[in-house]
Amino acid sequence: MLEVYVLIKQVPKSHSLRIDKSSGALIRENIENIINPDDLYALELALTLKESYDAHTVVMTMGPPQAESALREALAMGIDDAVLISDPQFAYSDTLQTTLVIKEAFEYLKRYDLLITGSETSDSSTGQVPYQLSEALDIPLITDIFEYKIEGRNFYCQRNFGHESQNIQVELPIMLRVRRHFNKPRHVPLLGIKKAFEKKIKIIDFNTLNCPDYLDGCNKSPTIVVKTEKFIPKRKNQFIEGTIKEQAEFIKNVMKENGIERQWTGI
Amino acid sequence: MNEKDDSKDLWVFTEIKDHERVDECALEILGKARDIADKLDQKLVSIVLALDAEQYLSTIKDHGVDKIIYFSHQDLKHYHERIFTKLIHKLVEKYTPSIFLFPSTEAGNALAARVAYKCRTGLVSDVLNLELDDEYGNNLLLTDKPAYGGNIHVKITCPSKRPQMCTITRGTFNKRKIRKSTINIVKEKYEFERNELKIKILGAPTRKDKPSSTLSDAEFVIGGGQGLGSKDNFEKLYDLAKYTKGKLGGTRRPILNGWMPEHLQIGISGESIKPKLYISFGISGAIQHITGITDSNIIISINTDPNASIFKTSDYCIVADANEILNELLEYYKIEE
Repeated sequence: MLEVYVLIKQVPKSHSLRIDKSSGALIRENIENIINPDDLYALELALTLKESYDAHTVVMTMGPPQAESALREALAMGIDDAVLISDPQFAYSDTLQTTLVIKEAFEYLKRYDLLITGSETSDSSTGQVPYQLSEALDIPLITDIFEYKIEGRNFYCQRNFGHESQNIQVELPIMLRVRRHFNKPRHVPLLGIKKAFEKKIKIIDFNTLNCPDYLDGCNKSPTIVVKTEKFIPKRKNQFIEGTIKEQAEFIKNVMKENGIERQWTGI
Repeated sequence: MNEKDDSKDLWVFTEIKDHERVDECALEILGKARDIADKLDQKLVSIVLALDAEQYLSTIKDHGVDKIIYFSHQDLKHYHERIFTKLIHKLVEKYTPSIFLFPSTEAGNALAARVAYKCRTGLVSDVLNLELDDEYGNNLLLTDKPAYGGNIHVKITCPSKRPQMCTITRGTFNKRKIRKSTINIVKEKYEFERNELKIKILGAPTRKDKPSSTLSDAEFVIGGGQGLGSKDNFEKLYDLAKYTKGKLGGTRRPILNGWMPEHLQIGISGESIKPKLYISFGISGAIQHITGITDSNIIISINTDPNASIFKTSDYCIVADANEILNELLEYYKIEE
């Protein structure tokens, strides 16, 4: 049986963001959280695999205890099991620390054939973890795939790579990063919601992993966020008065200044 | 893992695109990196991996570098994650750079993430600005990065691990033509065991050129909204885009009206754009759309309503019927076929 993991993240819904004026930190209370939109395509791929192959699907996330609700939602969609990696000592992990912790988690879990991720998260939008985890587990990461099939321990697919379209063969285990709109994520069926709440979520914490000291995300992350600011774009807000012709003339001049020229094709 | 004390110099991964040209974004980064190198009194080093790499060196020499370190080999014709990661990681261990910058391209992002992992150092992606800062450490690189779809900017440092790594998007900095009087060229020996490769390519790959410019990396974008009023009017935007070599996009409304295909949506559930110039026609400026356009350099908006919220995010605001302005522009830019 194929052991398929989908790596997701719970993120704040982007319109409910507020910043504490005195500390400059993001206010995390009373924020509506959702499954990172790109991860829905990864979940859908896992559910599709389950329909065609003998596969056991597991959704995994790393985050605070409330990230459990994202896992429950994935279970309601039809994912078989869930793992929550959570510990106060993992808080404030940057991408490197996150990768190191997830690597330890997979070494603890031992069996995995396919790890599926979305493209990037809507909160920090780094897109780094799939590449770093591929490096950490020393398994190939395949991105931008189209057709695929699995035969025994081999994964065959067509992928875009640079300016080429390639047919490739690669031995499991592998990681797959799914692009946006790769498929059409399904809705949560009502029956699924009840089932989702009956499932037990496996918790992995600092002690489970018998963590080496360097996995302390609070203190060992190489990058530090020193300031957070609400971004208010500075714009001139200059109103251009005049007739339609004069206003159009103004636009033409700005276009010209930016290298957009009238293309003469001859007289 | 490099600790900061023995590290020096500023490196730029100077990507060769489609085995035919130096990546523009990498040249832009060299422009900014030159300033930082001067302030730090350190060397600016370009890192090149390519097939027949020598052919690109003269272009790179014109962009302010003190040194070029390169590999030239058949295996380096295309980006390959295992080969590139291994070679670059070994170079970092050998020379211990203090700062290492990458263009935010498909290969640049992947390679930077992998190298950062190998070096167990920090990586900040898609930075909007780089400064040297003494508040958080001596001459520490202070990066400015957008998060939460650009609604928030965070400043990030990497105080103790080296190199300090970033990826940078095209158009963030400007190219500078400077040639140093002495440029040190170092050719490194290519060493890689091909049996370390795990992915087998079956059959000959087909060349699949990506569209020369997609919405997200277009330099000039024209956006349309409900204010254009009809499909026929909206069609004229396509013409303007064609004659001016711009890219067309729009809000949710024209898609729902059947005026525009879904993949051209700009905003939170579509593409984010960062052109030099964005002109919006008949767009009111819902937050879903604004989120996707904030990285535009200049924004011109045309709307009949002087209180339209799009004007708050615009440099130049034109209160007029977008169709009338569009007709005026088309008259000027139209190419007789």
